[in-house]
This record gives sequence, C-alpha cells and structure tokens, in this order.
Amino acid sequence: MTLPQTQDLPQAVQPLIVAVAVGYFLVVLTIGIWATRRIRTAGDFFAAGPGIGLIALSLSVMSATLSGFTFIGGPGLVYALGLGALFIILPAGLTNAMGAWVLAKRLRLLAEVRRTLTIPDAIGARYRSPLAQGLAGVAILVAVVGYMATNFLALGLVISAIFGIDLGWAIWLGMGITLAYAAGGGIVASIYTDVFQGSLMAVASVLVFLFTLKSGGGLGGMSETILANDPGFLSPWGALTPLAALSFFFVFGMGSLGQPHVVHKFFMLRDPLRLRWYPLITTTALVVTMLLYFGVGMAVKARTASGDLLPLALADHATPVFLLNYAPGLLAALVFSGVAAAIMSTVNSFMNIGAAAAMHDIPVALGRPIRHELRWGRIATVVISVAAALIAQHSGALVAFLGIFGWGLFASTLVPALAIGMNWDGATRAGAVASISTGLGVTLVFETLAFFGAFTFPTGVTISGLSLVLSLLVFFAVSYWTRNQAAQDLDPDIRIIMEA
Amino acid sequence: MRKTRALQGILVSSLLLMAGYATAFLPGGTPDWGVWLFLVGTSLIMICTMALGAAKRDGAPSLRGLFGFLFFLLVGGFGAALLLPAAEGPGSTLLLGLPLRAAIIVYGVGILPVILVPIFYAWTFPALGIRQGDVAKIREAAEAARRSTGTE
Repeated sequence: MTLPQTQDLPQAVQPLIVAVAVGYFLVVLTIGIWATRRIRTAGDFFAAGPGIGLIALSLSVMSATLSGFTFIGGPGLVYALGLGALFIILPAGLTNAMGAWVLAKRLRLLAEVRRTLTIPDAIGARYRSPLAQGLAGVAILVAVVGYMATNFLALGLVISAIFGIDLGWAIWLGMGITLAYAAGGGIVASIYTDVFQGSLMAVASVLVFLFTLKSGGGLGGMSETILANDPGFLSPWGALTPLAALSFFFVFGMGSLGQPHVVHKFFMLRDPLRLRWYPLITTTALVVTMLLYFGVGMAVKARTASGDLLPLALADHATPVFLLNYAPGLLAALVFSGVAAAIMSTVNSFMNIGAAAAMHDIPVALGRPIRHELRWGRIATVVISVAAALIAQHSGALVAFLGIFGWGLFASTLVPALAIGMNWDGATRAGAVASISTGLGVTLVFETLAFFGAFTFPTGVTISGLSLVLSLLVFFAVSYWTRNQAAQDLDPDIRIIMEA
Repeated sequence: MRKTRALQGILVSSLLLMAGYATAFLPGGTPDWGVWLFLVGTSLIMICTMALGAAKRDGAPSLRGLFGFLFFLLVGGFGAALLLPAAEGPGSTLLLGLPLRAAIIVYGVGILPVILVPIFYAWTFPALGIRQGDVAKIREAAEAARRSTGTE
C-alpha cells in the first residue's frame, strides 16, 4: 500500500529516538549479513531456495504490503479526509483469503513443476508466451523504479527527521543500508528482515493505538469531540464522494492480486499444507498493524477539534506531531523506527523483483537468458537502486508522479492475466498480451496527461481503477475472440495445476 | 459456485464498474444510480473472484452460503451508508464509539470479514486447498504430461 510521501517531517532529533533507530539499523544489517552467507544460487537470491515457513511468509507479506504510507501518509489522509480514507484499508478483511483462494495454491504448485522465480515466469508458463512474460517484466520494472524512488525519498525524510541530517545524504544513507542487505542476501535477506520489521511495525502500531484511545477518552470520546465540530468527518465517506471512496475499495481490493512483490512469495512456502492458516495469520497481522492508520488520524483530528492542537499545516505531520507532543518517548522512538522499517521492507522487495525483471524476465522474453543470474541480479539491484535514489534526489515533483501509478500499474497489468488467467482455461495468450498492454498504455498515458494538467477525470474516477476495469474487459473480449487458441496456449502440466 | 458462473459474474461486474465510472461524465456528476452500479459492481467482482479461486473438486463443501452472505454484507453495508439519513452531529447516538453509518462500514464491511473469511478458508482447506500427497501426485502427473507432449 504505497502512496507518495514527499513532504518534510518535523524534526525528531532526541537521544532516545536516535538510539532506538541506530539499534534498529544494526539489527537489520546483522540479518542481512546472515542472509548473504546463505545465498548460493539465483534460485536462493530470487526465490528463497529451499523455502520459508508460514510465519515468515505471513509477516513478510504483511510488511511488504504496508509501506511508510501506513504510518505517515495514511493517518494524514484520515486527518484530512475523514473516514473516507479508510476505504483504502477496508478490503483487508477479504484480500488475503482472496489471494489464497485465487493465487497461493496455484503459484505454490507451479513452483513444484516448473522453475518459476518470478511472477512474469508464471505468466510466461501459463500462456506459453515469452511476449507476455516480457511485457509483464517491463510493467514491473517501470513501476518498481518509480515506487522505489518515492520510497527512498520517504525514507530520506524519516532519516533526516530522526538524525537531523541533510535530506540528500539521508536518501543515500537509507538507500545504502537497504541495498547493503538486499544486494547481498536477495529475497532471503528481504524476508527475514521483513519478519523483524513487520514485528516492530505491529508492536508500534498496537501500542500507539492503545495510547490514542487512552489519551482521547476512548473511541467514543474522540467521536463526540469531532462530531461537535466537524460532523462530516465521521460520515461514512468523509470528505470523499461515494464513488471516490468505493473506487478506493475496488482498486485496493482487486489490485491486491496484482502486487508482484507480495504474491511472488507464494512460490516460497516450504510446506504447502501450511497455507491453511495463511489468511488468518496474515489478515490478523495486517489489521493489527493498520490500527495506527485509523487511531492517529482520529486522535489528531479530535485534538484539533477541541482546540488542544492547532490545525496541521501539512496532513502528513499528523503522526510525527502526535508522537512528539503527546506520546511517551520510547513509544515515539519505536514508531519512528517502525516507519523506517515499513518503508525498507517494501523497498527491499521492490529491489528484488526489479532486478529479476531486468536480469531474468526481459532477457528470457528476448530469447537471451543470462548465464550468471546471481551475479547479474546483484549488479542489477545496485543499478536500479542508484537510479531510483538519483530520481528521488533530483526530480522534484516527478517523484510524486512516479509513486502514484505504481499500485495501479501492477493491478491493471497483472490482475487479469495472472489472477483470472491462472483460474480460467479459456484465457488466451492474445488476451493476456492485450490486457497487459492495455493496463500499461492506459495507466502511463492518462497518468502523464493528468500530471501535466492536460486532462483530468471527473471526481471519483481514478486512473488506476479505470485502467483495471478496461484491462479486465479487454482480457475477456480478446480471449473470447481468440477462444479457438485457448487449448493450444495451455501446457498439460499447467492445466493439471489449474484443475487441482 | 461453478467457475463459469464466477467468470460470468466477474465480466458482469466489470461492465457495471465501467458503467458506474461512465456516469461520472454526465452533466451534474455521478447520479445516485451511477453510484449503485459501482457499488454492486465492486462488491460482486470481489465475491466472484474469490468464488473463482475456490471453485473446484467434486464433493467439496459449497461456499455459496459464505459468498452470498459476504455479497449481502458488502452491498448491504455500502447501501445502508447511502440510504440512511446523514444524522451525524453533536449528540448523535454512537455504536461502539462511532455514529451508526460509520459503524456499519467500519465494523460490518471492515471488521466482520476479518474474523469470518480466514476462518472459513481454514475450515474448508482440507477439501478445497492442498491435501497430503497432492504435491507428489501433481508433480508426477505434470512430469508424465510433459513427457507425453515434449514440453518443459
């Protein structure tokens, strides 16, 4: 869940906050060194070799799903838009079970019968199509660089706020630490740091939520204060129109099936029978970690409504202002490190899938597979990270633009071909290629036009939602028109998996 | 629910979503019926996609009841938020700390599925998910199929 975080944060240079942050970075680096020693092959680097356990999978999925937006941008959005902002996280009760029913079993079984390292690998195998695999790889690479640039900027802002250093240096420091473990330890480092980072995020979120309830007189107390001053805040849609709020629900609900940094982890579960408990554990972890999103937004709104706090100049200041002014020092320190953890756990997954797209999926699609994938995977991780950090540092408003379309681009390019296609033997190669191309084209064209102010959609129509719907319709239409090809586009071992 | 029905549902809901978005271009903005098209579309597509993934194996327990209930929950919850009067204000009655319409959305649409859906998934996993021995069988069947067709 990543929306751009591009605004300065209030300075938080306090000994306790700095000490906890230093401790956090040291733990992350230690895990990275341990993981690097376990990497022997490209399979280890991109797909965690012999596999991971259920708790590691669940926490890793949770922390890769939630970026710094959950801790900074999200509470700010609740403060600014009211309950309408909850429609971004409202589908969480459904998305993990949906992912498990639709994708987890099929992708896990696919990993048993084919050498699948990446989501584009799965698409290529499903349709016997290097073109579909390559297009999916291109879509991932485009979205990943933008996503990473946005997240490096966000990480830089957090590090700058904690340590009081210049933003430029902070971006490179954050990128360097993340790169140090991601380039060495690949997905293994990513997953086990995610476990630590996810645990930290969950603990910080629960503690802050309990503190907001205690300090605000309970949820009822906060609601009464807000209702006396701004009743619209607690209307179901907040400041959004119903169409805009429902559009959030659709994009973040269905779009969850197309997030490659999340769903590729299904390949890695060591014991597939353990999938039984995956939705329960992951959903619980996800919801618990998102309590801060709701609690801090409500608490800050209640305090400004009661006159205890001046209205915020920037909505993104909600969490830092609340922590620095009202929360105990140790809690504030935990959350600031938790924000860094949330960002880094998302970025390290992007590093891995971006490198895989560049050094595995696109070369395979071009018929020129790379021989030393492990070495080149590490090099690609470095190159992509440096490129993203340069964009974060020098491109100004472009970073926000790049960050906006990441989720939508993943959703519109991958949901039809992957999520529907892995469950429908009538889907065709032409349908997959057309839908991926539609998602890529519609998202890039309309986001660019919107960015330059050349065209804007009416209120409530989101580009990500529209491109996902168009991509689905194109997928069905082209698959229907080319239905005579469906049987030829499906290898028998893939059919067995789809019918399992 | 059979796969065909689930796929038809996804197609119909995609058309409803497209129509809902299209109504935003009408003069005066999205009419109420346009919001309803989108509301039904977004609820239906989530449920039918889950049903598509869960549809399989003869003799497996039907999840029609669960998916029907979830569809009612989403359409009913969002619909209630649209249809009930906007009565939020000082002195509003609160339900678990929130005004009625907000409580329906947060607790009904948001929290209830958190408890319900993963438990149903775990409960039906032995029949709908992966069973002991499945992996070995699938590996063997896939290997045999690859040998017979020369694919890799």
